Amino acid sequence: MDCWAAMTEQTFEGRLFGPGLPGTGAEAVGSWNGQGCLRVSVEGTPRTELLAENPAIAAAGFNAASLRITWEDDGGAYAFVIEKDAARATCGVSAPPGIASRILSASGSRECLERRFRFGGVLLALFLALPLILIGVFLLNSDRVADWAVKRIPHEQEARLGDLVLAQTRLQMKILDSGPAVDAVSAIGSKLTTGSLHRYRWFVADRPDVNAFAAPGGVVVVFSGLIRSAGSAEELAGVLAHEVAHAELRHSLRGMVKSLGLRALVSLLTGDVSGGVFADAATRLTELRFSREAEREADDEGLRRLVKARIDPNGMLRFYMKLASEGRPSPPPLLSTHPATGERLERLRREVAGLKQKWVPLPIDLTSLK
Amino acid sequence: MAMDVVDYEIFGSEMQYVEVELDPGEAAVGEAGVMMYMQAGIQMDTVFGDGSQQQGGFMGKLMGAGKRLLTGESLFTTVFHNEGSGKRRVAFAAPYPGKIIPVHLSDIGGTLICQKDSFLCAAKGVSLGIAFQKKLGVGLFGGEGFIMQKLEGDGLAFVHAGGTLKELVLAPGESLRVDTGCVVAFQPSVDFDIQFVGKIKSAIFGGEGLFFATLTGPGKVWLQSLPLSRLANRIILSAPAAGGRSTGQGSLLGAGVLGGLLGGDD
Ligand SMILES: [Zn+2]
Repeated sequence: MDCWAAMTEQTFEGRLFGPGLPGTGAEAVGSWNGQGCLRVSVEGTPRTELLAENPAIAAAGFNAASLRITWEDDGGAYAFVIEKDAARATCGVSAPPGIASRILSASGSRECLERRFRFGGVLLALFLALPLILIGVFLLNSDRVADWAVKRIPHEQEARLGDLVLAQTRLQMKILDSGPAVDAVSAIGSKLTTGSLHRYRWFVADRPDVNAFAAPGGVVVVFSGLIRSAGSAEELAGVLAHEVAHAELRHSLRGMVKSLGLRALVSLLTGDVSGGVFADAATRLTELRFSREAEREADDEGLRRLVKARIDPNGMLRFYMKLASEGRPSPPPLLSTHPATGERLERLRREVAGLKQKWVPLPIDLTSLK
Repeated sequence: MAMDVVDYEIFGSEMQYVEVELDPGEAAVGEAGVMMYMQAGIQMDTVFGDGSQQQGGFMGKLMGAGKRLLTGESLFTTVFHNEGSGKRRVAFAAPYPGKIIPVHLSDIGGTLICQKDSFLCAAKGVSLGIAFQKKLGVGLFGGEGFIMQKLEGDGLAFVHAGGTLKELVLAPGESLRVDTGCVVAFQPSVDFDIQFVGKIKSAIFGGEGLFFATLTGPGKVWLQSLPLSRLANRIILSAPAAGGRSTGQGSLLGAGVLGGLLGGDD
């Protein structure tokens, strides 16, 4: 090989290490010739000039950040280390093809290291942020998480939850277990709940508010104020159908799981795992608001149940309109927990208008209860 | 920015300090808490970052601050200016027994990689950066040696080795296995690989010196016989009430968050 062939004009700076040179290396300038020989010269007195035939090339040094060209000659092992980016680039560009490809693969291995480090960093960051991400995912998907959990609650558990809610409600208000009002509600309700998996229990709360709620597991509580304001049994049936639909569709259970889940998570995070979380959630059931979709679903399902029981759904519509139009300073609780939008009313009106069945009047006289 | 040329004198044998002479207008940078004394006329100035050229604008500074926080270093560096008319002296003391190593960065190619608590002081203009060991592997869990400090510039820098100092030169291809904690500094031309040596069982159930750094030449390497972490471990073990843990001075987070997380004991 003719190593003394003309060198290229392009030179690159580096540090030369080897026998007879300082241990920390000496500043040197390198250049390639067409035969793949590296010439390295060190300024000084005397000027050192070395010629490397077929040297080895690798990414080396701390973090493989430099290009190391190594070779051996009679004197011993030498290394020419190029640290600066610009010099490395010149070295690559000016090298003959065979050498250039080796320089390229060396820089490829350096980039690979860089990528692996970044990947490791991302993994580590993910690991550190995992609890936060989980909380975020939970908060963003609390609906879906609640759905998932609700589907897995057995009916017996649901009934037990209903008992808990009932017990809590009894502490807050006077609940009637029997009497003509309870009988009336029960008579209408049982028509709406035939074939249900739940064992429905009907109660009347002695409260003036126009309200009603269905707890999980078939506990339905109607406020006496609602019975008073209902013009007919069909109107009462409309509200009951809607509440039963909420229970059957497990809306309240879902709401409980959602609020419970969040608070259980918070109490787990803060380490405050005291009791009362469940009881508290049960208490709040009367204040539970349903989503717009849930209300629509409950309307549809309630209407379906009314039709199936052959109860005139115009009662439902009438009662809704009565609630919406009443010029009270504050809307009745039934409306605030079951937000009735104009759109919802309009929808119900359309649905009811489309029904041409023959209705069987309910043999219940509400006026006697008032 | 031209580096300040600094004259110095090292005093003591095993508990050393270095006295740095500053010409009028010259300055030195040091980590907070290593200054021993300074003559009248020297002004102390706390700067955000490392006091080297103010690079990268606001975002650059922010990134630098983030890195320093992450590695448990102080956000601020103290700059000692000579505002007087004649030569003035300021001294920096080694925080534990050992040797102070003066390194002329220009002699070794401009860059020195060192263990992150070994830096003592430097001429103003030397940039103090963080260098992560990117060859992850098991090095990630080694703690020590994962986060290194990178000193760049062409001025004088002082690093500190615990116990007895061993300076050695590795010829091209020559390698040496060292406990990661015993590496003080090395030239960037040296390959620095952290390797797991020993059995997994002993790694899990405790044992020392499981992680070794393999240093491969060419280049110069500085080793210490007594890493601070080793000394600290022994002191804590033999303390009457074991378990006391003091926070590093001047550091916002005390011990390095990342270092601590990865099992670094320094
Ligand atoms: Zn509703």
